[in-house]
Amino acid sequence: MPENIILEMKEIEIKFPGVKALDKVDFTLRKGEVHSLLGENGAGKSTLIKCLTGVNRKDGGKILLNGQEINPTSPQQAVDLGISTVFQEINLCPNLTVAENIFIGRQPMKRGGIDWKTINKRANELMERFHLDIDVTRPLSFYSTAVQQMVSIARAVDIQAKILILDEPTSSLDDNEVRLLFEVMRQLKAEGMGIIFITHFLDQVYEISDRMTILRNGHLIGSYEIGQLNKVQLVTEMIGKDIDVIFNLKRADVKEDAAYMLEAEHIGVPGKVKDISVTLKEGELLGFAGLLGSGRTETAEMLFGAEKTAQGKIRKKGSDISLKTPHEAIMNRIAFCPEDRKTDGIIGDLSIRENIMLAVQARRGFMHPMSRAEQDKLADYYIKALGIATPDAEKKIGELSGGNQQKVILARWMATEPDVLILDEPTRGIDVGAKAEIQRLMLERCRDGVSVIFISSELDEIIRCSNRIVVMRDRQKVAEVDGATCTQQDILNIIAEGSAAENGKEASV
Amino acid sequence: MKKKAIDFSVITRSKITWAVVAEILILLVCFIIRPDFFSISIQPSTGVLYGSLIDILNRSAEITIIAMGMTLAIALGGTDLSVGALVAVSGAMALKLMRWDVLEYSTPGDYTVYPFWMAILLPLLTCMLMGLFNGILISKGGMQPFIATLILMVSGRGIAQILTNGKQFTTMYSPFRVIGQGHLGPIPMPIIIMTVVCIAMAVFVRKTAFGTFVESVGVNKSASRLSGISSDTVIIIVYTLTGLLAGIAGLIYSSRIMSNDSNNAGINYEMDAILAVVIGGTAMTGGKFSLIGTIIGSIIIRTIVTFVYYFGIVAEATMAFKALIIAVVIILQSEPVREYFARRSEKRALQG
Amino acid sequence: MNKTSSKKQSLLSRLMNPKYIMVYATVAIFLIIYLFGAINYGDKGFLSLRTLIISMFTENAYYGISAVGMTMVLITGGIDLSVGAVSALTGMIIAYGVAIMNLPPMLCLLFALVIGVGLGLLMGAGIHYLNVPPFIMTLTGMFLTRGICSLMSRESIEINNELIDALAGFKIYIKWWNEDGEWAKIKPICYINFNFILFIVMIIIGTILLQRTRFGRNVYAIGGNEQSAKLMGLPVARTKILVYGFNGFCSVLAGFAYVLYVKSGWNLALQGGELEVITCAVIGGTLMTGGVGYMVGTLFGVLLKSAIPALITFNGNLLSWWGKIATGALLLLFIFIQRVVVVYSNRKKQE
Repeated sequence: MPENIILEMKEIEIKFPGVKALDKVDFTLRKGEVHSLLGENGAGKSTLIKCLTGVNRKDGGKILLNGQEINPTSPQQAVDLGISTVFQEINLCPNLTVAENIFIGRQPMKRGGIDWKTINKRANELMERFHLDIDVTRPLSFYSTAVQQMVSIARAVDIQAKILILDEPTSSLDDNEVRLLFEVMRQLKAEGMGIIFITHFLDQVYEISDRMTILRNGHLIGSYEIGQLNKVQLVTEMIGKDIDVIFNLKRADVKEDAAYMLEAEHIGVPGKVKDISVTLKEGELLGFAGLLGSGRTETAEMLFGAEKTAQGKIRKKGSDISLKTPHEAIMNRIAFCPEDRKTDGIIGDLSIRENIMLAVQARRGFMHPMSRAEQDKLADYYIKALGIATPDAEKKIGELSGGNQQKVILARWMATEPDVLILDEPTRGIDVGAKAEIQRLMLERCRDGVSVIFISSELDEIIRCSNRIVVMRDRQKVAEVDGATCTQQDILNIIAEGSAAENGKEASV
Repeated sequence: MKKKAIDFSVITRSKITWAVVAEILILLVCFIIRPDFFSISIQPSTGVLYGSLIDILNRSAEITIIAMGMTLAIALGGTDLSVGALVAVSGAMALKLMRWDVLEYSTPGDYTVYPFWMAILLPLLTCMLMGLFNGILISKGGMQPFIATLILMVSGRGIAQILTNGKQFTTMYSPFRVIGQGHLGPIPMPIIIMTVVCIAMAVFVRKTAFGTFVESVGVNKSASRLSGISSDTVIIIVYTLTGLLAGIAGLIYSSRIMSNDSNNAGINYEMDAILAVVIGGTAMTGGKFSLIGTIIGSIIIRTIVTFVYYFGIVAEATMAFKALIIAVVIILQSEPVREYFARRSEKRALQG
Repeated sequence: MNKTSSKKQSLLSRLMNPKYIMVYATVAIFLIIYLFGAINYGDKGFLSLRTLIISMFTENAYYGISAVGMTMVLITGGIDLSVGAVSALTGMIIAYGVAIMNLPPMLCLLFALVIGVGLGLLMGAGIHYLNVPPFIMTLTGMFLTRGICSLMSRESIEINNELIDALAGFKIYIKWWNEDGEWAKIKPICYINFNFILFIVMIIIGTILLQRTRFGRNVYAIGGNEQSAKLMGLPVARTKILVYGFNGFCSVLAGFAYVLYVKSGWNLALQGGELEVITCAVIGGTLMTGGVGYMVGTLFGVLLKSAIPALITFNGNLLSWWGKIATGALLLLFIFIQRVVVVYSNRKKQE
């Protein structure tokens, strides 16, 4: 039914320095449908959305809105064209009232002043339509993230959008709130609005969408009607197997009599991770598989002291250790490469050299500085060893590409010569070559006797590298499988079964 | 050809370039108007160096010392507004100890009531404690540095007044006079103290890893914490240090006038110090800092003042000149202008 | 909560809105201080404490006028250090114009307004387009303005002008029942003057601007989240620049009020005045991080700040310097309350 199509994106191409973020991606949206856009982090979902909303310029392709070619250059222009976006991060003003957040910039006026009565009345009507019974005259910050999310949808809806983009709107909502949101989405759908829905929760995709489009590493994998793929097929498509073995990666061997490096017993934080026990042997690589939000990051943070454990014990080489701060963890030769490189990893204004020496220096304390020669030696060594592409060690880390930044952070931790190296999504958002290199480095460490914990959303790399794999779901450990014998299908089944078995509970990828 | 273009970009991108250029220009104007501006001679009666340049250095001592600490506070992404008030507190404390109220009947003479070391150390200790107070409010209390230090900025002068019962004491105790008016060999004492402080600070931040920690916390607190740096400790040390330096400046100031002047001592010092830091190329948003830049910034500020004195312009009008030069430096350092220069030199590099 | 109650709110529930909490804190602390004074120094007369506070309030009106503009600047998340200097410059322009050039005072005021608003707009533009921190930009403005003041004259210039005298002499005496039950002037003489009326008028204008115009709402939006404000398509640049312009306008009026108070122009007048003004706004419940603040709060902030010297005078044994320390303590208290409110509301949201 081509006459039903309101948005057509043809052969969209976007290049970032060094990488092709989108490679000839097609996307169509029909009137009155919910179309899910799926893919792993770094697959190009948000790049596609940013291109549509005028945040990113496209390097090739066309966007047709109702058959007319459009080229939005700013979010405001996109809004004027009838394309509204609700981001995961709430883009509203927390200090203004709910009603005002919906109407600011286009308040109805009466006798030269703002007509507060009409604003509040109309906001009440909108909230009623969303089945939200809240006081619209209270500040936005007074309400939960869920309500705030609804308010931003209300604002988007009220400016008479033809296309509504929801970028992970449900990640902070509970089941009831999700149901509420879906009701509103169905209502809008019935009114003929086209909705693009981005989410990590697969059950929600099946519950609300009419069609789905899958992206992987900037490529279009395909668009399907919702009945065409089952959940396991979908996960397989999203995760893919596209990292072919560029380097001949071999799993490290763990000696039969290898001692326990780290033992965590019943550690947990209320509301984040339920009672988890893991063990790690010398020279072993322990994979953490599981979906985003399954508690893998929180577990890693507990093992590094970045998240205070409320219960349980952690032993290293047989003796109890206290891990209350990252500093204590570093003193115990535990290293942690965090998931969010930008906010928790790099120190953007400092040079590569300073970024590399930071953790070593922090362990020594500031009164025992490394000499400049030592620093240079350290930096040069790791730049060479990890193949960091830079003219010299004095370049600001902020000016490097993502893959190279990741290598610098890795170097920071390798330089501390850790016994335990925890890597949270070290290969996310970097190109295939760099991924393989980081995996190779990881495995080399294992051969040197370092124990590695490797967290990743990509199953094939976990299976390829891990000796053992801990599978996590719903903030707890659900299985532990042997890396040498298990297959992707096994793990997919554990994850998908869980989400199918607990019907209605969200599962994320 | 290509190499030249790159050199050019290094110069325009460097943040202290404009400060140096400004200082050279002002000095040049001074020299043109008064060719003897650069002459330095030895005063026969005292054997002390004498001349405009020496005067500039001598009088810039207080601001330079304070600005050393301010540089670190600003590199942390904060600021310390209380330093001016601490200058007053330090002076009041010292004078109170040297000339206790009880002895009001006695005439000022070459004596001190409490031992000299006490009159020096207690004010410094007090100022350190006040700096510690600031640091704790900011790190443990999670307050904005601007507001946290505003508290002592507002009440500090009150505390100084209460210390001395609202009175202005004078002293004639000669060891105290040495701090602000004495000299070591031919060099005035404030210059010596300033140099020692600057060197000590430079050694402290650059010969230990403290400077790197400060920059790291200033750029990204969360990543610094995950790298094992205790940001709270860094913040507390910096503000305590800033307090101590303000205390030293307060002693120099009160020794110059041999009196405490809680109303006027250190007035606008916090502003001058912040300006010196900013002119010196350290961004208010925190991160990389330059102590040398700060010293140049502080000297620029004092050069303007001296310039105005020398050429018979109303002394209070100094501020207008300060403003003009600062405006020029700030505009040249501002992001859009720097980006413009960076783009231009890039283009040239491409063409070449 | 059922639907009818959320639609039709009683006045009480509207007043209970958490967005007013800081204003209530100001009022409450004022009442506590007042009661404290009344109980401790009641022997000196409950009434005369009130009188003293009213007269301090009237005398502090010029700070209040300036605080109206400052409140708006602080709500955007900015700061303006030039206000005291701009007020002083206004005094100099009027004094110079009237006493030396024999110009009508209103013409001088007009000229001062042009200068003050112009400087404000210029600083606003620098802050927005050049990305210079407001602190540094307005500090430069302050230095420039003070310098110009000093270039005009280093001495205080007396003003002898009928219009100025008339405005300065304008007084409405406040009457109340005295101890004998007679309707009479409160003694010691308690009155409202032109400055006080100007202050109240500015508070009303400020309230209307903030609450009844799109401009005012944009001011709040920018303070709440500048990035969001941009994404919502609000005119961020224009609003920010205009706010600094309006603050310049207020500083000039404050300077005029100060001229009426001292009947002279002095280059060093109101030195450090910017701090007093910022303090008034902050203890009136305006958040320095931006986004929160009310003109009514600022009104009470000025009242609260006037109560401190009144109390210290009343005590008689205290040095007036305790006023500064008390002001610092008040600031600390307010910041503390603000932190508690933030932490509490976060915790409540998590539940």
